[in-house]
Amino acid sequence: MSKVFNWQIGREMEYPYEPARPKRQFAMVMDLNKCIACQTCTVACKTNWTPGRGQEYMFWNNVESKPYGFYPLGWDVKTLEKHGIQDAMGPVYKGKTLFEAAPEGERVLGYLPEDIDYAHPNIGEDDSLGNMQQGDYITVPHMQWMYYLPRICNHCTYPACLGSCPRQSIYKREEDGIVLLDQARCRGYRECVKGCPYKKSFFNPVTRVSEKCIGCYPAVENGFQTQCTQACIGKIRLQGFITTPDKAREDNPLDYLIHIAKIAKPLYPQFGLEPNVYYIPPVHVPLPFLAQMFGHGVPEAIATYRKASADDKLLGCLLLFGSTPRIIHRYKVEGGIAYGYDDQGDEVSRVPLKEPIHVRAAYDSRFETYRSNIT
Amino acid sequence: MSMRELKVVATAGITLLMAVGPALAQDPSLRAVAVPNSAGPLLDLEAAFWKDAPAVKVPMLPQNIANPQNTAPAVTEIEVRAAHNGQWYAVLIEWADATKSDRIVLDQFGDQVALELPINYKPGDAPNPMMGGPGERMNIMQWRAAFQHDVDKNSKADAPLQNGPQIAELYPNVHVDVYPDEVLRATDARAYTGAVGVDNPISRPKRTAVIEQMAEGFGSLTAMPEQHADGRGVWSNGRWKVIITHPLAAGDGNTPVLKPGDQTLAAFAVWEGGTKEVGSRKAWANWAQLTFDPVKP
Repeated sequence: MSKVFNWQIGREMEYPYEPARPKRQFAMVMDLNKCIACQTCTVACKTNWTPGRGQEYMFWNNVESKPYGFYPLGWDVKTLEKHGIQDAMGPVYKGKTLFEAAPEGERVLGYLPEDIDYAHPNIGEDDSLGNMQQGDYITVPHMQWMYYLPRICNHCTYPACLGSCPRQSIYKREEDGIVLLDQARCRGYRECVKGCPYKKSFFNPVTRVSEKCIGCYPAVENGFQTQCTQACIGKIRLQGFITTPDKAREDNPLDYLIHIAKIAKPLYPQFGLEPNVYYIPPVHVPLPFLAQMFGHGVPEAIATYRKASADDKLLGCLLLFGSTPRIIHRYKVEGGIAYGYDDQGDEVSRVPLKEPIHVRAAYDSRFETYRSNIT
Repeated sequence: MSMRELKVVATAGITLLMAVGPALAQDPSLRAVAVPNSAGPLLDLEAAFWKDAPAVKVPMLPQNIANPQNTAPAVTEIEVRAAHNGQWYAVLIEWADATKSDRIVLDQFGDQVALELPINYKPGDAPNPMMGGPGERMNIMQWRAAFQHDVDKNSKADAPLQNGPQIAELYPNVHVDVYPDEVLRATDARAYTGAVGVDNPISRPKRTAVIEQMAEGFGSLTAMPEQHADGRGVWSNGRWKVIITHPLAAGDGNTPVLKPGDQTLAAFAVWEGGTKEVGSRKAWANWAQLTFDPVKP
């Protein structure tokens, strides 16, 4: 094991390989307050990448309902149970990562799901925590709640799939940090399926080797956001690149959301993989559940998010979500407008912080009729 | 564990093996009997000449050096015979296995056995039996029950080599709307075929149940472009009988060059699919001497 620094847990940790951060790191932010589980992302991904033989139940992108939705069945609660209770209350994690908790003779603490665990990708959909009782009324956070959790591969800085593979068939690209599984080298041992706590490495029984999300690298290489991001009708996603906190750039929208405003949080940071998909936590969900899922700092994230309308810089950043198929490398807010720029500095997006209101006359003289909607 | 540490551990393991060397020196000595009036691969599991080949019991050990490990492998002993016909040699391996495992889905693994020979063996200079090491190239031939299943199925099919695993066979009640290869030209549909499309040796259609590979240490196992090895396996009454056969001298520089009268080493590995043994989660055997009988005049 080598010592590597994981900024999400604020300390060094053990990893099977030497530290080697990529030149830049693929990242995504998803606003869970806006996801409606329409599965447009899932279908975009499915039709693009996994309509083939042996991929029938393989979803590189899925959207599950929390707390009762899982794909595959019980993926996170099973790992959490094996991991046991860990002290994750502060910025410096005092518990063990999945690498540090690996049993003797293993590279990582993991489990291999059963085949049938993938058979119900939408299990638990829309199921609320419990039933409302007679006389109950909604308060925030809600006493009965659910929310949608869209998931792709986290293209982790310290991927457990990569660390688990005894053949080094999985590699992390130097140019963008995307984690790929070499389809020519894999021999289908399924160590990556077992090792990845997010269960985003899949086994194809027709090719008899494993496959995973490729971060839409052909799009990313050409300056476009991933298909799941482009297709998102709720505009909940922003895909780009993240830097480490010490090098955070205020004009990089992902850095701003994650490192500066600190409203976007990693999924299960206590596992120690430094995942690079970040979530803006849902404001209506009780904090203990969110703390378990997104680590420390959730109350502050929610408080900042709730005041976003009064913060032009943050609001502008949030409004750039879904505004362009291009990857936004830099942004600025000026004169009530948020501008996004590509890596050449060319403008690729322009969004007003407030949509102008147009008021029409109540009477339409051309058609000699009254309008029912005038704004 | 870093690669450097891995090597240190591996070396420590070898040192340990050397230390127990004298005990292992009495260990398996395989005699490949000469088969007269025969040419080509030796693929007959029931051939009469096997009765003349001395059966050697080879103890199988847990792979407990490289992670992930298998500290309690299911197969603890195999029985091995060897033969050659002046052109090809063959090793017949038998072991008890109550469950035939040749259906491969996420949580089901296949039975496998592998035969390893050093490519450049100098008598008296035994290389690392655990897949060799830098500069110690190994010829590793692996037979897989799942490949045997494919080959047996292909032998009955109208279109040989087109029948890799089929979803409808693995999941009889499956319903699928459409696949890309049903609506696109073959060249366009290839992008959706994953490892088959890049001719991964595990995924490509099978002519034989044996895959021929080279290794220079843990994690380096690679299928060779030229596949010479052949083989056949049959499971019956709780027992696998598997033949792995290879030309004595294939002449491509990447396999051992052998001739009648030669002596080399052979090592083995076995995987019990029923207990999810795969990759480095295996049982392995230390070197056995392998001597090729001279051809009878």
